[in-house]
Amino acid sequence: MMRASLIIALTAAPALAEPVIPSFTDETATAGFSTVYEGEWEYMVGGGVATFDCSGDGFPEVFLSGGASPSALYLNRSTQGGALSFEKTEALTMDAVLGAYPLDIDSDGIMDLVVLRLGENRVMRGLGDCAFEDASAAWGFDGGDAWSTAFAAIWEKGQTWPTLAVGNYVDRKEEAFPWGSCTDNWLHRPEGERFAPPLPLTPSYCALSMLFTDWNRSGQPSLRVSNDREYYKGGQEQMWHLDPGAAPRLFTEKDDGWKRLRIWGMGIASADITLDGYPDYYLTSMADNKFQILTAPESGKPVYADLAFKSGITAHRPYTGGDTRPSTAWHAQFADANNDGLLDLFVAKGNVAKMPDFAENDPNNLLLQQEDGTFVEAGDRAGVASMAISRGGQVVDLNLDGALDIVVVNRWTPAQVWRGNANATGGWVQVRLQQPGANRDAIGAVVEVRRGEFVERHEVTSGGGHVSGSVGWLHFGLGDAATAELRVIWPDGREGDWQTLGAGTFQILQPDQAAQAWQPG
Amino acid sequence: MNLHRRQILALPLLALARPAFAADRSDISRQVLLTWHKLVLELVRHTATYMPPVAARGFAYIGITAHEALASGNPALRSLAGQVTDLAPLPARPSGDYDEPCVLHAALQAVVAEMFGNTGPTGLRAMEAMGRQMGEVAGAGIDAAVMDRSIAHGKAIAEHILAWSREDGGAVVENMGFPMDYTPGTRPQDWVPTSLVRMQQAPLLPGWAQNRPFAMPSAKATDPGPHPDYSEDPASEFHAYAQEVYDTGRALTDEQKLIARFWSDDAMLTFTPAGHWISIVLQIAERGAMPTEVIAATLAKLGVAQADAFIACWDTKFRYNLLRPVTYIKRHIDKTWEPLLITPPFPEYTSGHSAQSGAASTVLTAIFGEDFAFDDDTHVAEGLPVRSFASFEAAAEEAAASRLYGGIHFRFGNEAGLKQGRAVGAYAAGLRTEA
Repeated sequence: MMRASLIIALTAAPALAEPVIPSFTDETATAGFSTVYEGEWEYMVGGGVATFDCSGDGFPEVFLSGGASPSALYLNRSTQGGALSFEKTEALTMDAVLGAYPLDIDSDGIMDLVVLRLGENRVMRGLGDCAFEDASAAWGFDGGDAWSTAFAAIWEKGQTWPTLAVGNYVDRKEEAFPWGSCTDNWLHRPEGERFAPPLPLTPSYCALSMLFTDWNRSGQPSLRVSNDREYYKGGQEQMWHLDPGAAPRLFTEKDDGWKRLRIWGMGIASADITLDGYPDYYLTSMADNKFQILTAPESGKPVYADLAFKSGITAHRPYTGGDTRPSTAWHAQFADANNDGLLDLFVAKGNVAKMPDFAENDPNNLLLQQEDGTFVEAGDRAGVASMAISRGGQVVDLNLDGALDIVVVNRWTPAQVWRGNANATGGWVQVRLQQPGANRDAIGAVVEVRRGEFVERHEVTSGGGHVSGSVGWLHFGLGDAATAELRVIWPDGREGDWQTLGAGTFQILQPDQAAQAWQPG
Repeated sequence: MNLHRRQILALPLLALARPAFAADRSDISRQVLLTWHKLVLELVRHTATYMPPVAARGFAYIGITAHEALASGNPALRSLAGQVTDLAPLPARPSGDYDEPCVLHAALQAVVAEMFGNTGPTGLRAMEAMGRQMGEVAGAGIDAAVMDRSIAHGKAIAEHILAWSREDGGAVVENMGFPMDYTPGTRPQDWVPTSLVRMQQAPLLPGWAQNRPFAMPSAKATDPGPHPDYSEDPASEFHAYAQEVYDTGRALTDEQKLIARFWSDDAMLTFTPAGHWISIVLQIAERGAMPTEVIAATLAKLGVAQADAFIACWDTKFRYNLLRPVTYIKRHIDKTWEPLLITPPFPEYTSGHSAQSGAASTVLTAIFGEDFAFDDDTHVAEGLPVRSFASFEAAAEEAAASRLYGGIHFRFGNEAGLKQGRAVGAYAAGLRTEA
């Protein structure tokens, strides 16, 4: 059941109290980031961020892709609630990096990193203390020689190693007629404790975002792929069946009711905004963006309605700065920026290069959700309306004060970071999932949070966004509530007990165990 | 390929009129012309402002440029200056030898560069690569002085056409053709937005009919007259037309669905409707033995016909401002009904596809003949099959019917569009490209 307030909102327009506007401080100049995403045509897409803790102190490190310039890993030297402070290291300095996703591939409790590149992709094994080694050969990972621009991972049932999906873009060697030259996406399935030769996900249509998601709550995630229509012929948005032990199989209109949608797909954000228990998907594009709601879950068919216009999140043109041309959207992420208990939406914006028909001054969006399920723009008032040419990003608590911070990679100009000011927001709780054995970070689990009479379901995923990902603390805003009531449904389907957790706390959740409080420092 | 008698007769005439030096180079010219147009089709698909009327305009100027580049060195050809509106005589060739492929390549490169100067980085990269590659093909073995002279003249031809194009009212397209503000009409039959796309809450290019026409005297010269009287009475003629759209949509055959999608030619996803007909000509040219001069003249006339058809059609659309079938059907027949195709964001009457197809078929029938059978593989790369047609007229009829199958036009909008397009096409067909 979709919450009634949203249904009402889509048929009427009652006056609403505006949500609390969060406050962000631009600490780009002082935080210590110096990486610039450089390069020309081959780097017009990409520009990802990965955040994860490799030092063991609980604070997330930041890995920034550099395109034609070197990538860099920045160690988090911030203190709780303090100014953002990072130390650049040489631990993950590579060329031709478009994006990266953290993933503990070998489940040794030390975070690894999948690095997407122009050319050969790499899996970097974490050695501890933020040291890494290239484990591609040792793990049988074929890095290929493509223009890799999307990623997602899942542990398939019965497997101790993950399945990796890598999305690839145009054949970069095509000059005069590159259109229709999308190269195959690859599926790297495990073969014991290494990867088998990759399976091509044919047809492929120039993926810019991928996400394993249990869209119908069947317990069997499917692979959504958002594709850039600029380059495919005969293409569309895609979803793949990924049945254990079976070859990947595309959802079709004839067999599955999959409806054709053709957009400049650039990023996928997913969350249970409608509180109907099913994931909703925000798909970034040029001009209007899409917000997909499953129309009839009981039908078993993946038929979605586009509620972007009605929800106020088309984000189709700049809302400030005077440039009225259509926008270009990349990374998108749902997160509770003001800790009011309602998920908000951050969208990184920026022209492909210098396309004159699209906005050059294209501010990032921070769309705050209101009680009726609609959103209101607050990027400028919150202080994050950057006019840089943005690409990837992460909304994550970098200084562990409960207020989310934002880091964004920009094309041709330095990455930016904003510190969320905790005194301007409501309560929160942050949890970290840990399970023994394989898949330590419980990718594929679901965290359920009670929201009044509804339950918000939060899929724990690896993938989506625009070549940007995070593993670490899962953040939930609580508004005025003194406690949060939540439970975990683990990847193997075990349902954890409902637990009451105090606001303002960090909790480590493990199967069949009581929550374990954690404190920074 | 069924070559029409007129074309067969024209081949030796043109060959005789062609200087020996140029005749040796005719295959290169043909390659230059066809390859550039293939790139133009892709650029139309991948340039955000190239909505169907804009694309038709672009094809007209590029086709005219090619024809004029060739005509400037071939006394058997006749310039369109003085025939199409406000086109002054083209620059004459200064004395000296010229290489026709180099002239043609330089002219096309220059005109395409400006017409698609607003495309994305991949389009710019492709244009640069095409310029380099075709320049090498055209210039191989040519004396440097001749090549320089030829390139300079080609550029002069292009600049003349471009200067002319900048004054027609359609050179600047903002916000992908959608006005920033729009006040809908208040009559029950007035068009209202049908899309969930925020930008499409205003109609596409409402002022397009004010553009300068090419060959027809004015936008209103081919007015097909009003649509049937609007009525919500279930017993009315208008309601019957809407009921037909509804009933057809609920009982579509696989063949009708295929036809609807084959001619859908959506902006930014295909070559657009005008590009579809350009693609047909390119296919015919490649399969047969059409000389470069005939191809260029055909592309010029076809471009003019389609550009004028959109101007005329847009005049009609915004004069009558009629709602789309989906609006009427949801209000008065079945609020849950959805058409097969996405309804375009502008008024219904007359059908743009029908108008430009009527214009295109009229021009092509005049050039190739009434029974010219052809195969159309325009959408093979998109996964749609080749379709075969007994004539251009048959193709135009099918294109018009496709809009009924797609649920986005009333039958009367299609029929009036065809009628309007044929009248527009007659003006373009009357242009003389041979001396």
